[in-house]
Amino acid sequence: MKKLDVRGAKCPIPIVKAKKEVDAMTPGEVLEVHASDPGSVADFQGWAKMARNAILQSQRTEKDEAGREVFVHVIERRGP
Amino acid sequence: MIAVLSIRELLERADAAEDFLLLDVRNEDEFAAWRVEARAPIETLHVPYFDFLEDAEGSIARIPEGREVVVLCAKGGSSAMVAELLADAGRSARNVEGGMAAYGNHLEARRVPLAPGARHEIHQVLRRGKGCLSYLVRSGGEAVVVDPCRHVAFYEELARGLGARIVGALETHVHADHLSGGSRLAAGAGILGEIPIEIVPAPGHTPESRIYVVAGTHVLTGDTLFVSSVGRPDLGGEVVPWARELFRTLRERVARLPDDAVVLPAHWSTPAEIGPDGLVAARLGDLRRTVPELAIRDEAEFVRAMEASARPAPEAYARIVRVNRGLEEATEEQASEWELGRNECASAHGGRKS
Repeated sequence: MKKLDVRGAKCPIPIVKAKKEVDAMTPGEVLEVHASDPGSVADFQGWAKMARNAILQSQRTEKDEAGREVFVHVIERRGP
Repeated sequence: MIAVLSIRELLERADAAEDFLLLDVRNEDEFAAWRVEARAPIETLHVPYFDFLEDAEGSIARIPEGREVVVLCAKGGSSAMVAELLADAGRSARNVEGGMAAYGNHLEARRVPLAPGARHEIHQVLRRGKGCLSYLVRSGGEAVVVDPCRHVAFYEELARGLGARIVGALETHVHADHLSGGSRLAAGAGILGEIPIEIVPAPGHTPESRIYVVAGTHVLTGDTLFVSSVGRPDLGGEVVPWARELFRTLRERVARLPDDAVVLPAHWSTPAEIGPDGLVAARLGDLRRTVPELAIRDEAEFVRAMEASARPAPEAYARIVRVNRGLEEATEEQASEWELGRNECASAHGGRKS
């Protein structure tokens, strides 16, 4: 599974970077995005509804080494 | 660099009904929950910013040509990206700096006209994004602020500009919709020079609610009476007893005030309540004819009407109350998040067209 760390980045950077990664992936591949912006939860949901080549598999929150909240978005590349 | 527009400029242009197209690029939920409102309707097109990422050309084609486009998002980042895409495509586009976050924190002050020879001044402070009103009353070199928002620097600057110093902060009640700046502006109640500020207990919206009558002519009604409705008595989860209290406050206390008294409330629910002079104010005599709840003369009928308009409070209200009571503290980030959206303090749901 690919990982993308966009902690510290603000809207729209997490989506812009995730989309760039997804576009370069092959169908079936999965990308895990780690973001610190709480707004990214709704943003990834909205983007995935629109995206032609990706679906949002799941979302969860974690704590990083420093105890800060991290929003994890798991995205699967779809064809074509 | 892309051209920018401040929230202040956006609101000035929208209030003046100038011709532009507002392109809102937030996601569906955010757009559905909270919009920029002005005294004139704003022609708005909603295209989420991820549409531009997926299909820039197709999304740009959805925007009518030849229009000046003003792009808005939650914090100003995505709208900057979209404004740049539009500018690159040869369109006239400007980005609203700070987005809806800036809208939620934007304050404007306007002087309330008083009778000639008045020895004091009242300034109404409008928090446009939330529909919150606060007041600065100046007499000589002293000022008190009533129902201040947490943006205390704004009031300090306003007072300084008037050559006054803030000596006190008053609250009409413990607010549930926004965080108060009262404790940071001044401790304790203010006594203002030679200007009498009469305190009238007004339980109902909340048990501790009060009304301030300034110099006998202007009534700061808090959330007891608005210019198109009354304060909702269901926020504490005790709608029947609080509605009874509110009825008695309106029938016994507010009823005693003269028709000529000018009502200055703590909120508005729709921009239709902002007058042509930019103020939210009304003669009490006029409200006695136009506010339906004031016309109800039977307590049981009033309580039924309040029960019928009861609805769940926004989720953040319980936490805001705890902070305003001094039981908890909030960071700037939490404060901004909890305060998102327009206030939900009036009984009439979504306000009333006046």
